[in-house]
Amino acid sequence: MNWSPSSPDDGVSRRSFLAAGAAAGAVTASGCIDSVRNVVEQAGDNQMTLSITTLPADADRQNVQIARRLEANLEAVGIDVALDMRSPSELLKTVLIDQEFDLYVGRHPADYDPDFLYDALHSTFANERGWQNPFGFANMYFDTLLEEQRRVDGEQRKQRLGSVLHGLAQEKPFEPICFPDEHRIARTDGFEGWDEGTLGSRHGYLGLEGDGQLHALATDSRMTRNLNPLSATARERETMIDLLYDSLLSERNGELVPWLAESVEWSATPSETASGDDTNGEKDDANADERGDERRTVSITLREDCRFHDGEPLTASDVAFTYRFLEDTSLGRAPESPAPRYRGQVEMVESVEIEDDRRLTITLRGETPAGQRALTVPILPKHVWQELIDQRAASGEFSAPQGRWVAVTGDHIPPVGSGPYRYESHTEDEQLVLERYDDHFTLREDVDLGEPVAAGLRFTIEPGSAAAVRRVSDGSGDLTASILDAYAIGGIPDSSDITELTATHRSFYHIGFNVRNAPLSNPHFRRAITQLIDKETIVDEVFYDYATPTATPVADDWVPSSLEWSGEDPVTPFVGSNGRLNVEAAKSAFETAGFRYDDNGRLLGGY
Amino acid sequence: MLAEVLTQVALVIGILLPVSVLVFIGRERLVRTRAEWRDRLRTNAPVIAVLLVVLLINRVARQTAPKLSREIGIHLTATFYNVEGEFILLFKSVETPELTAYFASVYVFGYTFLLIFPVIAYFMLSDTRIFRRLLTAYALNYAIGLVLYILIIAYGPRNVMPAELTERMLYDTNPQYQYLTREVNTNTNVFPSLHTSLSATVAAFASMTRSAYPKWFPIAVVLGASVALSTMYLGIHWGIDVAAGLVLAATCVVLSDKLVDRWSLSDLFGDRLERLSDRLPWLHREE
Repeated sequence: MNWSPSSPDDGVSRRSFLAAGAAAGAVTASGCIDSVRNVVEQAGDNQMTLSITTLPADADRQNVQIARRLEANLEAVGIDVALDMRSPSELLKTVLIDQEFDLYVGRHPADYDPDFLYDALHSTFANERGWQNPFGFANMYFDTLLEEQRRVDGEQRKQRLGSVLHGLAQEKPFEPICFPDEHRIARTDGFEGWDEGTLGSRHGYLGLEGDGQLHALATDSRMTRNLNPLSATARERETMIDLLYDSLLSERNGELVPWLAESVEWSATPSETASGDDTNGEKDDANADERGDERRTVSITLREDCRFHDGEPLTASDVAFTYRFLEDTSLGRAPESPAPRYRGQVEMVESVEIEDDRRLTITLRGETPAGQRALTVPILPKHVWQELIDQRAASGEFSAPQGRWVAVTGDHIPPVGSGPYRYESHTEDEQLVLERYDDHFTLREDVDLGEPVAAGLRFTIEPGSAAAVRRVSDGSGDLTASILDAYAIGGIPDSSDITELTATHRSFYHIGFNVRNAPLSNPHFRRAITQLIDKETIVDEVFYDYATPTATPVADDWVPSSLEWSGEDPVTPFVGSNGRLNVEAAKSAFETAGFRYDDNGRLLGGY
Repeated sequence: MLAEVLTQVALVIGILLPVSVLVFIGRERLVRTRAEWRDRLRTNAPVIAVLLVVLLINRVARQTAPKLSREIGIHLTATFYNVEGEFILLFKSVETPELTAYFASVYVFGYTFLLIFPVIAYFMLSDTRIFRRLLTAYALNYAIGLVLYILIIAYGPRNVMPAELTERMLYDTNPQYQYLTREVNTNTNVFPSLHTSLSATVAAFASMTRSAYPKWFPIAVVLGASVALSTMYLGIHWGIDVAAGLVLAATCVVLSDKLVDRWSLSDLFGDRLERLSDRLPWLHREE
């Protein structure tokens, strides 16, 4: 095992070590710690080499342009760069599962609540595979803040999160670049009631008025190959899982609405009085902070007579199973194997108690905001997944390597969910057809959450954004379901049959660092790299201004004023002006970080 | 969309072929072929079978090869890009809408025509050897190409440099063609350029047969060179892919000479011939 969590001190010890120069041999001989030995073996007189994992333009036209701009600037400061181009699912596999990368350019789905940073950064997940902490980042200071923000609410929570954002801007396990605008187009002659804000979730496909099947064009073909709700690699955003599965609560335009849960009652444990079904859970912040071990219990009543798509009833035991299964997909038969998704949400749940078929009590490790997020995971049918595990176990040797075994890597087609739409058919790389699930509770008279389209949905794969726009304007499609690449937005025709749907979303482009290995374990080195990224110019030239540059991975009210965008990054501004890098200044940042250059201007420290 | 493009291609080829048969082949050969076609077909049957089997394997491999490729293939996009960098952006200086239209139609229609016409032309020759060599060379191109596609995973320039190529990317200017190319290819099949290797193969044969078809030779060379250039101009292939395509073409032309010689010996033994043609595709699959 070479892996060791890096602390900010790592870089310092490395630097002083590099300065020691000739002493290197002696240190190795004396059997020093792993990370130092790595440096000795790797940081020779060779040029430093880094790889940037990126997507082909076919999949995302912006991603590779960001990667190439960074590549050019890294080359300019004397680092040898290799562009490692992967398909979308392979990029996620390389980064999230295999963890074989230096830098990558990606689009993080984020979430409606900044609690997703817990998943992304908590050190307990640094050794796991999946969306949880892909960077291998481990820092006690962050852990404490991330845990605290879960236990408090209101202004106090905002302050903790502000500290997280400040820390992030300094430490840089990843570097957010911009929030792209979400552009889609829809025809107005077939369907009415398009809601631009919710088309990334189930709500965008509910309450639409029109006849016939809704024909949506999607650019990402992964949905025709994998519908496993646990898959780390099959999707960034969970729109399709949202349609096929239900969750206890559902997020709509930033608000949570009771979904599979008919009623949700929050109360504090042990002695606090219940604050009713008030989902904001206003409390005395000072008290909450002092209590430290704040817990919340949630009494949930499920909607009556809900069934999975295979006709089996959905009961409280399915809910309990879901949380247990996500926590350990081997169900105790092998070393713990947490799902590569929903990790932070499940961690929030301390226990689930089943009262009867429809009633259950969930105890949460913290306050309402983060607790609500824990209630948005898809509810899985126990009978289906339990059987899969039992079958594997019956066939002899059972192992469930985390993030890599069939329960999380299988395609799970046809999926068995309970959501408003049911899988009907698919053709790989071509289309996915969903029919309306006639037994869904949204169709009941007393439920007013929007009904699924009667004749169902058909998603056809159209990889090119410009071609998708053309097809919808020609009338051979009702909607571009995926977010359009920026280059195609200018070409949207003016027509009364078409409506342009625009939303700003929380998903963000970012550069991720693998901080497990030198030299990227060194935060000073990472900072020197982030100063090579000209976010303003990227937004202008790659996104044609259909994006907002950012220094933080969350937007709006959460951002402390000192981290607000002010024409340049407030912490690590681009070293240069008007899109041109100031090479000498950029190089000196690397030298200040303790790195050396040879006479040819190449940065040393190569493997 | 696919049907539309296929109809277009069929239409263009349907017009070009009869015209070229009249212009390049001439009435005399047509008449003689009418008398001899049964004999020629019998002699040529094995090699036609071989080509069909290779094409069939190719077709089937479209389903399974990508998976296999992910298992055993090596990623070379970075290497190609590091070696040649922005070489193909040279074409930027000559870029015009007209040239883009020319190269796009050469890439789709010109290439199809370039492959089909020699098959007809060489069937019209009394000496069947050149026909058998051509089909053998085609089969070799596809077979070796398939193996290389499995072993090497690389994306073409259009996937790496979208911004610089945007004005002349085939699928931006003529999005309908992507439905056609998607049927026969995935976007990681760039090394080598089969467009180049097959066009160069045809041009090489045209040079060998220029006494029989003097007018075809310059056409084949110009069209073949245009196809090779178009793959780079349209941002589909790296210069390296095109160079590898030329090497592959040379290999296939030379090999076809050796292989067809060997086969003609077994011409006398009908049953052995059958066995041989059975064995060859199996050999290819083994590779």
